Amino acid sequence: MFEPRIVAFFCKWCTSAGADLAGTARMTYLPNSVNIQVMCSSRVDPEHILDAFRNGADGVLIGGCHPGDCHYKTGNYQTLKRVTLLKKMLTELGMESRRLRLEWISAAEGQKLARVVTEFSEEIRRLGKIKVRQL
Amino acid sequence: MEIGYYPGCTLKTSARNFERTALAVLELLGIKAVELSEWYCCGVNFSQVQDNLMLQLAPLRTLMKARDSGFTRILTLCTMCYNTLRRASLFLQADEERQRIINDFMDRGAASYRGDEVTVIDLLTLFREIGISEIGHKIGRSGIDLKVAPYYGCMLLRPREVAVDDASDPTIMEEVLQSVGCQPVAYPMRIECCGSYQIVNEPAVVWQRTRLIVESARQNGAEVMVVLCPLCHYNLDSVQLEIQRTDSRFQTLPVLYLTQLLALLAGIGEGNDWSLHSVDPRPILKAKGLL
Amino acid sequence: MRKIGVFVCHCGINIAGTVDVKAVVDLLKDYPGVAYIQDYKYMCSDPGQNLIKTKIKELNLDGVVVAACSPTLHEATFRGASESVGLNPYRTEIANIREQCSWVHHDKAAATAKAQLIIKAAIEKVKLDEELQPVKVPITRRAMVIGGGIAGIQAALSIANSGYEVVLVERQSSIGGHMAQLSETFPTLDCSQCILTPKMVEVAQHHKIKLLAYATVEDVSGFVGNFKVKIKQKARYVDWDKCTGCGICMEKCPVKVPSEFDEELANRKAIYTPFPQAVPNKPVLDSAHCTYFKTGKCQICKKLCPFDAIDYTQTDTFIEEDVGAIVVATGYELYSLKSLPEYGGGKIVDVIDGLTFERILSASGPYGGIVRRPSDGQVPREVVFIKCVGSRDPENHFPYCSKVCCMYTTKHAMLYKHRVPEGQAYVFYMDVRADGKGYEEFYQRAATEDQVVYLRGKVAKLYRENGKVVVTGIDTLSNRMIEIKADLVVLASAIRPAAGITELAKLLKIGIDQNGFLTEAHPKLRPVESLTAGVYLAGCAQAPRDIPDAVAQAAGAAAMVTTLFARDYLYHEPIIAGVNTDLCSGCGICVGVCPYAARSLNRSKGVVEVNEILCEGCGACVAACPSGAAQQKNLTDEQIHQMIKAILT
Repeated sequence: MFEPRIVAFFCKWCTSAGADLAGTARMTYLPNSVNIQVMCSSRVDPEHILDAFRNGADGVLIGGCHPGDCHYKTGNYQTLKRVTLLKKMLTELGMESRRLRLEWISAAEGQKLARVVTEFSEEIRRLGKIKVRQL
Repeated sequence: MEIGYYPGCTLKTSARNFERTALAVLELLGIKAVELSEWYCCGVNFSQVQDNLMLQLAPLRTLMKARDSGFTRILTLCTMCYNTLRRASLFLQADEERQRIINDFMDRGAASYRGDEVTVIDLLTLFREIGISEIGHKIGRSGIDLKVAPYYGCMLLRPREVAVDDASDPTIMEEVLQSVGCQPVAYPMRIECCGSYQIVNEPAVVWQRTRLIVESARQNGAEVMVVLCPLCHYNLDSVQLEIQRTDSRFQTLPVLYLTQLLALLAGIGEGNDWSLHSVDPRPILKAKGLL
Repeated sequence: MRKIGVFVCHCGINIAGTVDVKAVVDLLKDYPGVAYIQDYKYMCSDPGQNLIKTKIKELNLDGVVVAACSPTLHEATFRGASESVGLNPYRTEIANIREQCSWVHHDKAAATAKAQLIIKAAIEKVKLDEELQPVKVPITRRAMVIGGGIAGIQAALSIANSGYEVVLVERQSSIGGHMAQLSETFPTLDCSQCILTPKMVEVAQHHKIKLLAYATVEDVSGFVGNFKVKIKQKARYVDWDKCTGCGICMEKCPVKVPSEFDEELANRKAIYTPFPQAVPNKPVLDSAHCTYFKTGKCQICKKLCPFDAIDYTQTDTFIEEDVGAIVVATGYELYSLKSLPEYGGGKIVDVIDGLTFERILSASGPYGGIVRRPSDGQVPREVVFIKCVGSRDPENHFPYCSKVCCMYTTKHAMLYKHRVPEGQAYVFYMDVRADGKGYEEFYQRAATEDQVVYLRGKVAKLYRENGKVVVTGIDTLSNRMIEIKADLVVLASAIRPAAGITELAKLLKIGIDQNGFLTEAHPKLRPVESLTAGVYLAGCAQAPRDIPDAVAQAAGAAAMVTTLFARDYLYHEPIIAGVNTDLCSGCGICVGVCPYAARSLNRSKGVVEVNEILCEGCGACVAACPSGAAQQKNLTDEQIHQMIKAILT
């Protein structure tokens, strides 16, 4: 079976803490993603996402705090704007925009984290290996 | 407006006063209730069987028929039918495992059922949709000094997922009665159980419940009680004369379907077979100028 | 090339049970930059830490990766170990292979492979980590306490007695909170006001406490040590500098309004103090009910005031306070009877809640301490107390236990029996939770000496009939249906966080749990801190609790505040976002993105400058910067790029 490789960017305060909670509660999810912890999802530059795809990531998952709950007040709104725009660009570049996913996962939502990671891993598995023309 | 209509068994027999007056009132309100071309017993009797699957099959068959006939909503008058059909829908919704079992059992292939294709609604919810003030406007009469005890029973309110109003403190029947010019009577026993099928094996239970409910309504000034369930009607009405035979202090109270009262208020006199009542409601209705 | 030491922890079998630690060590021993790699059973233990320290010294390591549990647990531990032997702590990174790897995967091969990737990414990060020094931040040694109930009072007094100034903000016109309403307190039955009012007076007289009554918090900015709080002083229409509290205005005011303090069992005036022992003991004018405000006529209070203190032209004013720490003690309210249709929905006059019964019992209450029922003033002969009303009822209301009801209901039943010895008290209960000191004995006393009848079961229904409240339910111990024709029913309704808590939590950027209470930083180890540094919690705002617990928690919160104030400086994480002025074109895009106004455009130099104290290090500006001039320290674009590569190759 095709095992996709996924780069995750989780914010420290909500989603990464949610991932820690999923661990503490011994929930299970698919092991296809590796988290690069950032302070805030707004630290994620669209360039990082493209960088990941260029280096062979089959999917990129970004996790931030719920709207209104951002540790840095408004960071997640910046992320939302950037990701929305980038998804449009990906489509124009001929890529499935579903390979990029943004989710709001709080520090209390270990269950949601486990569900989202597994769901996303399975979806990318169905989409298959990424095809990026080397520049 | 047209709506699919599921009658259920009693509405064609002992509860025909209910069906006739309900359809007449709905017509007056601009609703055409189109009876399903094919329907079965709702399946409530199977609640006495220790087989949950059997309990679901009968109502789901009816719902599938309704869907296949192109209906997305069906109206039920009998509250037991409402309760059974509605719960069967909820039982299936969002549960793929249950859907699989049921559909396998029915072996209907592509025509399988998910539970959310047809919405089951009851008369009170339909009234709320039409608008209580609209009902008052079309049916209401002033100067009717009739004190009416609305009786909800359980099937409209329990379990909570199918409740047509606040399960602990419903107000919809009171609102309807108020809008048409009657005086709703506040009494604590309006959401008590009538004893239901205990009438078959343990009639003493029904006697006790009926006495409790009727006396509570009487004490609070009721001159007539209205119900929406054929079984409640049977239990609350039929045993009153027997209670009175054993205890002459017991004061009887006529029990009507809500729609019988609404039809009379609207001037629709036909449709009632008074022989179906034990406690004769005609004297009080005549006294109030409704007959 | 850096010389990096990698230390892989087994965490007993917590990691080693799923991740093949030895294989990981073996696979990474030749990874570029790795000068040393070793696994150990418990890296956080003393021998584990000593191993790290020894190897740093011995091999002159200039970077360390510890592959272990989540950085929230031991990042500080391992950075401290590195620092103790001279390695800059910001060159020690944690690879989280427990919470985010071994605990969430079962497949050993997959978990081992993933652990390796996590560690590789951490190694790449360390390679480019700079030596950083924490940013020094000054501290404003002044605290704010929000809420003047017993928790807020205790917190304010403890901080003030340590020598620091306190601003105490209370939205009512008097401090005291719900405790001032109580009759007697369990389990000792001492009079609530007798023990509370001396503390209230102490607050008023304390030279370190600035009491802002009838005021609300409108805005909070800044950060730990340096908060700026905007407070609204609501118009009192009474000049408190002139007012002596003589009370003539209250006596003569013709308008009667149901008293909130007396739970509407009695009236107050439109110009009023909530109760006679109020602190400050000066009235406010309730403009919503005042005849003058409604019709332009009356002015009796103004005419009669001997000190010309009435001022109808007063408006709301705003005050700004600089504080270094904030204690939130906003307390509770009882779940409204209107939300409980199964118990009459507030429509049955003789079905009341616990606080109303407190006012009935109170010697200074509307009935002078004689137990009467509200409908007709009769002394009730049969009283039913119902516990867990709204609490422990996840289907209809709230899943949590309100904690105080078991004991206050016991107290209510007991006090009722003391006042009406020939009367009968019934308690419907699910459990009796008597977990405090002296509580079980207190409950036993009520059940035996005072012959309170405890019925284990839920009430199915209650309704009014012939001047009585008929309560039906089941006693599950005898399996009998019970029907009691009661004269009075007292509901132990659920404790809810005070109104406005959600808005306040937003202002303070602190969390709210699923039941609406404030979230503590850690349920066991940090119970008085919020997740926002410098904001502490006390009393029922965090969870339902009784007086001794609220006082203890408030004193704990105060201790946290004074601990903070005892330091010379605060040190701010240095992972802030700087500007490379050679690359910066001064476009100013980052300025608009920064949520803290830490960035500003220096027009004369044509570049953006960063206030290091204000920068919180979110990195939003870095992602927004079109030229790469903005970079976050130790999380640069290059570092992220290298980490991505490490994960994917």
